[in-house]
Amino acid sequence: MMKDRVAEACRKIRQERMLFPEVAIILGSGLGGLADAIEHPTKIPYSQIPYFPVTSAQGHAGNLVLGFLAGVPVVAMQGRIHRYEGFSPDEVCFPLRCMHQLGAQTLIVSNASGGLNPRYISGDVVVIDQHINFLGQPSRPDYVDVTLSRNGEIYHRGLIERAHDHARRNGFALHQGTYLATLGPTYETRSEYRFFRKTGADVVGMSTVPEVLCAAEMGMRILAFSIVTNVALPDHSTSTNHLEVISWSEIAAPKLRHVVTGLLQELAGPAD
Amino acid sequence: MLEIYDQVQEACAFIRQQWNHNPHAGIILGTGLGSLVEQIEVEAMIDYDQIPHFPRSTVISHRGRLVCGKLCGLPVMVMEGRFHMYEGYPLKKITLPVRVMKHMGAQLLVVSNACGGMNPYFKSGDIMLIEDHINLLGDNPLIGINDDRLGPRFPDMSEPYDLHLVDKALELARKNDIVAHKGVFVAVSGPNLETRAEYRFLRAIGSDAVGMSTVPEVIVAVHSGMRVIGFSVITDMCLPDALEAADVAKIIATAKGAEPKLRTLVSGIMDYERARLGKA
Repeated sequence: MMKDRVAEACRKIRQERMLFPEVAIILGSGLGGLADAIEHPTKIPYSQIPYFPVTSAQGHAGNLVLGFLAGVPVVAMQGRIHRYEGFSPDEVCFPLRCMHQLGAQTLIVSNASGGLNPRYISGDVVVIDQHINFLGQPSRPDYVDVTLSRNGEIYHRGLIERAHDHARRNGFALHQGTYLATLGPTYETRSEYRFFRKTGADVVGMSTVPEVLCAAEMGMRILAFSIVTNVALPDHSTSTNHLEVISWSEIAAPKLRHVVTGLLQELAGPAD
Repeated sequence: MLEIYDQVQEACAFIRQQWNHNPHAGIILGTGLGSLVEQIEVEAMIDYDQIPHFPRSTVISHRGRLVCGKLCGLPVMVMEGRFHMYEGYPLKKITLPVRVMKHMGAQLLVVSNACGGMNPYFKSGDIMLIEDHINLLGDNPLIGINDDRLGPRFPDMSEPYDLHLVDKALELARKNDIVAHKGVFVAVSGPNLETRAEYRFLRAIGSDAVGMSTVPEVIVAVHSGMRVIGFSVITDMCLPDALEAADVAKIIATAKGAEPKLRTLVSGIMDYERARLGKA
């Protein structure tokens, strides 16, 4: 059933644009601008693709964008689906299944997060190397293709190293750390920040883990970034507001774009 | 979430037919703490099952009616009996009464509960002012498309409980020779009580008391811009190395025994609020 639905959605997408993407990109905070950098783009509103979840919240773009980025055929989600909007894990992951079915073997995903690690400052970029799933249940899609083996690394070691290289070449450093996913939509209390710090998490956010679990099941190579938009200081209470989160992610966005386009250029190989 | 606004309007319209006042505070009474109602100059009593969209309380020791009237001269709406996640209700249903209180005009939410004490310095029968909480329910009442008429998409939770009121309540406790602490409340879904290993875990993550309620209502109160004060009555001690089997009858008896303390503190806070409003 899930397979049929994915196939039907992909038929519609291919009618709009015959492209075999290599890389799927989920444009979270900080990568939003990348959608505009996609060359020869075809934008398909989610509402026109069968079974795609549609956010009824205002101001959300909600387009699937197919085209080329740094010479690599890509498919990107402009407008994200979150669990806190009331979508099930299966709904959150449906677009990703389609992007995989279209041909994408690599997933690049980003998010905005709160820093738990006191060494982080707002505007830093973290390459995620582990996560802690704190989404409550159900946290993973009901529909499973294969069972996930525990010995595989979810986040691709090679891509993480390449990301560090590209950051250094552009004159900045990435942190490498653990992302903890909560259901949201409330920001954390001071006590929750203290608790999450003890679990070993470096950043906390409300996304990414459902998609990553699904991508891992499908055997995709995964690279995930988190932009630190505020640093939680439970002993010095400060409030968090959404505008601050947005503005820090805009400040850090160019860093992330350097790394992602650098990686994609590498994938495309040397120019002829 | 988009249906909530209309449901709140309908519930308020119904309540206003019987009690057309603007409450200063909404009060939620927890397990065994119902007799605070005796203190109230009652002007209207409405059973939950009459109010449109209200859920029905299914727990013994929770009455299930809304009491409207005056406490210490201030108009209040009191929930005698509350709803829990373990009853099977979605959290947005459980918290609807809080939105109704807010829409009727309440600026302050007073919540109380009976809970298990994990901080070894506490004793059964003590009062804990909730200073902060940890949500371990695995759910959130704000899941769904946000209705901006009700509150912001991403509420800040850096100070969900009014820390000034916490200090006031502790001051009142000292004056009245009541043992009161402040601490962190952790909410779990229940309905089973915790294992010893779970108590160790909950203690290790930084909580002082554990219960199966309150956090959903507080999240919604913060979302809708209310100030909050929370009282936990420690009804049994949950010390993993000396754990006794939980006895509901005993828990309810302890709650009843501690109730006069809660009454003193809640009325003290109301007196303080009235004085504060008088000055303003």
